[in-house]
Amino acid sequence: MASYQESEHFAEDFREALEDLQVNNRYDIQNLTMIARENTEHALAIAQTLQNHIKRVASHKKLPSLYVLDSIIKNVGTPYTLFFGKRLFETYMDAYASVDMPTRRKMDEMLKTWKEPIPGSIDTRPVFPPDVTRPIENALIKARTSAMAAQQQHYRNEQQLLGRGKPMPQQPPVPYRNTPTPPNVRPSSQASGYPGNHSNGAGPFGPPPQAPGQYHQHQNISMPTRSTPQPSASMPAFQPPYPGGFGMPQPGISVDALNNDIQQLIAASKAEFARNPHDPSIQTRLKALLDLQSILQTQNLPQDQLVLIKNRIAELAVTIRAIPAQTPTPVPIAPAVAVAPPLQLLRQCRRSSATPQVSTPQPPPATMAIRSPPPQRVELPKPAAPAPSDALSLVEMLRKAGMIPPPSTGPSNGSTPIPNHMPPMPSLPFPLPRPVSGPPTVENMTSDITSTASSLKQFRPHLVPLLFESLGTQCTQCGRRFKNDAEGRKKKTAHMDWHFKVNQRIAEADKAGQNRGWLVDEHDWVGTRETIDVIGGIPTAQAAATQGGSVAKLPKMQYIPVPDDPVLLNSVCPICQEKFKQVYLDEEWVWEDALEVGDRIYHASCHREATGGSSTVAAVKYGGGGRGTPEPVLGKRKAEVSLFHSPIHLSSPERKHTPFCFI
Amino acid sequence: MSIPGLGYIAPAPPPGSAAAAAALAETTTIKLEAFWEYRFEVPASTTLTVRLVSGTAEKDGTELAPNTPYVFTRIKSKINTWQTCELEITSPSPDGYHAYVSKPATPDQTSLVSYLNLHMKLEAARAQVQRSIEAAGENNISAAGMGPRVLVCGPANSGKTTLVRTLTAWATRMGSQPMAINTDPTHGMLSLPGTLSAAVFATIMDITTEWGGTPSSGPTAIPVKLPLSYLYGLRSPEENPKLYRALISRLAAATTSRLAEDPDVRKSGMVIDTGDLSVTNPTGYEALAHVVSEFSVNFVVSLGSERITADLTRRFAGQKTTLGEEIVVMGLERSGGAVERDAAFMQSVTEAVIKEYFFGDVRRNLSPHTQQVPFDAVTIWKVVEDPTTASSDDDFYDPAASETSLEKAEPSLAMSSCILAVVYAHVHDDPDTVRDANVMGYVWVAGVDEAKRKLKLTAPVPTRLGDRPMVFGNYPEPVIGLTG
Repeated sequence: MASYQESEHFAEDFREALEDLQVNNRYDIQNLTMIARENTEHALAIAQTLQNHIKRVASHKKLPSLYVLDSIIKNVGTPYTLFFGKRLFETYMDAYASVDMPTRRKMDEMLKTWKEPIPGSIDTRPVFPPDVTRPIENALIKARTSAMAAQQQHYRNEQQLLGRGKPMPQQPPVPYRNTPTPPNVRPSSQASGYPGNHSNGAGPFGPPPQAPGQYHQHQNISMPTRSTPQPSASMPAFQPPYPGGFGMPQPGISVDALNNDIQQLIAASKAEFARNPHDPSIQTRLKALLDLQSILQTQNLPQDQLVLIKNRIAELAVTIRAIPAQTPTPVPIAPAVAVAPPLQLLRQCRRSSATPQVSTPQPPPATMAIRSPPPQRVELPKPAAPAPSDALSLVEMLRKAGMIPPPSTGPSNGSTPIPNHMPPMPSLPFPLPRPVSGPPTVENMTSDITSTASSLKQFRPHLVPLLFESLGTQCTQCGRRFKNDAEGRKKKTAHMDWHFKVNQRIAEADKAGQNRGWLVDEHDWVGTRETIDVIGGIPTAQAAATQGGSVAKLPKMQYIPVPDDPVLLNSVCPICQEKFKQVYLDEEWVWEDALEVGDRIYHASCHREATGGSSTVAAVKYGGGGRGTPEPVLGKRKAEVSLFHSPIHLSSPERKHTPFCFI
Repeated sequence: MSIPGLGYIAPAPPPGSAAAAAALAETTTIKLEAFWEYRFEVPASTTLTVRLVSGTAEKDGTELAPNTPYVFTRIKSKINTWQTCELEITSPSPDGYHAYVSKPATPDQTSLVSYLNLHMKLEAARAQVQRSIEAAGENNISAAGMGPRVLVCGPANSGKTTLVRTLTAWATRMGSQPMAINTDPTHGMLSLPGTLSAAVFATIMDITTEWGGTPSSGPTAIPVKLPLSYLYGLRSPEENPKLYRALISRLAAATTSRLAEDPDVRKSGMVIDTGDLSVTNPTGYEALAHVVSEFSVNFVVSLGSERITADLTRRFAGQKTTLGEEIVVMGLERSGGAVERDAAFMQSVTEAVIKEYFFGDVRRNLSPHTQQVPFDAVTIWKVVEDPTTASSDDDFYDPAASETSLEKAEPSLAMSSCILAVVYAHVHDDPDTVRDANVMGYVWVAGVDEAKRKLKLTAPVPTRLGDRPMVFGNYPEPVIGLTG
């Protein structure tokens, strides 16, 4: 047995070789197969490397990599069959979800060959044991069924979200059955083509061939299974017997128990609805639950659908319970079911299309204000659909309503790269969106938007809440939204303070005259930093510190309102005998650099000089200081710092700015 | 406190403002389904008051506050909803305005869907830059990437400014501080027409006007945005391509400096509005290409013309910005609501903007100041028309270049009613320095007395004029009877 380290190195080399595989190239695939054959001691590492590679590469490179897997399985067999088999569902479904329709067709074909013996082989066993392939098939059928149902519903609503403008032929759910694709279905005239190559006698479970590299042109002949009817979507095939890997729970889920659970959820939702009558997401959910209830009461559903419903209900119960903590919702505990593989596909659907969550940390559920809809709800943009015909489409509907939270961990979480250059997904007949990897940040949620006109025109309902609910509740005065977390509340408090003060000053300012200010010069404009809802001049000092500029403390400008008394109005500074300079400080006319001492008004600077600089006066002298050029200090200061609120506060301490006091 | 001089002339009160008229006003309530738009055209003679009763609604990307009356006049615009909403519409003269509801059946019948997708794509780019800025540290932000620079172009009346405003407002709503830049001299973003300007939008926009007003002394309920503007003084880039390009370069240099220092703005990037583009006019393309290169634009959004989209795609194919990004050209449909605004309407808007600059509006009266200034005490320059096409490899900063776009102008009767821009330069500066100086404010020539050699000037601020040069051009046109 190879050492771990050797395997590591080998896997690295193999990975590099895989990287070079860009297209479906027979020789490359043969070479990689050969490498795998000759190094069965590293089989585990190779299998893992290949599966990781398939998962990681851009969607257009997935098919060639899958063909490598196919070739290894068919030409080498054991032990690869075993190693690939373990994660085959994940590998296959992940790739399937992210590729386009033509590639899916090819993958369908490939899957078909996996259920059959290797053509020409003595071994009559299928390429992969049925317990590996069946979950994949089931998942595909289910996804198609729900896609069909969604499509019908979609027709009903005339909501051509995906197939805009294009006529959608009613296709059978399993199309393209007769398309010849590489694996094993080439006519023998192309016998030298890659997929037709099978080493003689190397059955999938047989020993590795004794003479590696001897490829026999062993072409086959009759393909009796080629026309095997595929299960139709309307009647899900492959029900029992469930293979072990499917994770079927104890049989016999009681419809009554489900009904009971749903009833409780409905009660909880009604309570929530009563609190938030305007939240459409709650309405939607309530409606979906009621529909589900009626379906359960009127129809006989097969067990596997009941399992699905039960799992959804369990998840939903958790969601509902998590939000209004005080709601006494008895939550049915779902049986400890191993995640049933078909669910993963559904999860992938869900993950990619629902749950807008901004990248900022989510507020803990407990702090969510009751009035605001929780951010992970997506509002159904269309009127609620008529009662769906089966439970699966209902699950689809629940999903669309964003009611089902994304699984915290998913098989492809964080590792599937999102190809940006992919052409827009074809809309037929299986609208499985590409999975979104990682947390639902804006980036992840928009990764499927390309700069093509068709991609830009496609409506993505999950983006809308990013501009509304996700931003929190609105300020009633100006409509700005604030998050409901601690930071948001703090901001909102400052914002409301700002409104209050501004409103107060507007009322006061109506009495005095106002005028347009001069704009600042280019240099100051570049140095300006926007401030939001800040009152007072404090940020200036802060800005000085953060900008690493002058640390000299800025003096507070001293001023008094221009006196109403006409006698005082003409008064001069008793010290320098000059008049006071009248400026506008945001809201009112003031005399700058003025100080009222007793009955008399002095220039603050004159008074300071005369009194030897009282400590009560911030005595740092500064000139206008335009760009560091000192201006003569004559006791009259420019209004450098506005003490009142200035909507856009200019906070560049080293720069002169004279927006409102140019006299 | 009385201010010497002219005193304010209150704008003619709109008919709806009087209490008596309000009693007669007709109120209707309309309900909008998701994606519907309430489109309205309100002439200057009347007003339209819109109040959001329930649901959510936005105008050009800015959300309406619930239960707050918004008064519109002299506007052709729309209010749309993504969810549903109920609006209460009040107008004193129900026949005085024109309005209808656009009811698209599906989301993809509205161009707003593609605008939203575009915005979210930009938001994703901003999030990416935000991370790189955080990684680079506050003091080293120039090492980090730069937020998206989006340019919106298209033929006349394709909704360019509306899209620019929408993208800006959405970005602001989501916490960004985008810089909106206007390179269309016929518009005056936060400034008077005839200028090229830029401003950072960190706070909510005033939805009842195009962009909001120029900063003034008093408090305002909507936070003021501070513009940086340069006087072009002509109507279209073709009238003096050389000057236009020089000013674009100047504006780009200033805005890029801001982006280099201000992490919030850097992350948010720029949204650039442009003048009308016409396929038959190669000069327009040249001017556009200059804007794209000067601002390192990496997203070119072409509105409403597939031909222009194709032309631009070809033109920018394979080109990279100075930051090494690919220039992406995107073609989007124009909004179905974009309507023609004829010359008369635009003229009336221009005059209203100028009037508002000096005197304020219904919400706030401003008090300008008029003074007599001797001819000799002022320095006035005039922008000259020079329609010779500048080739793209001209160097505008060549000190040897003798030609200039400005010429000294003696005060004369011809200057009556003109709008002069006061710029941040010195009276003895050479013409190129004056040309490159940004606008400090505007004065209006209230009268010229050639016999006494005196100018009567109305300035927004009571200040001594004359220590700064003043510049004017043919555009905006003289406004006669500003005070009357």
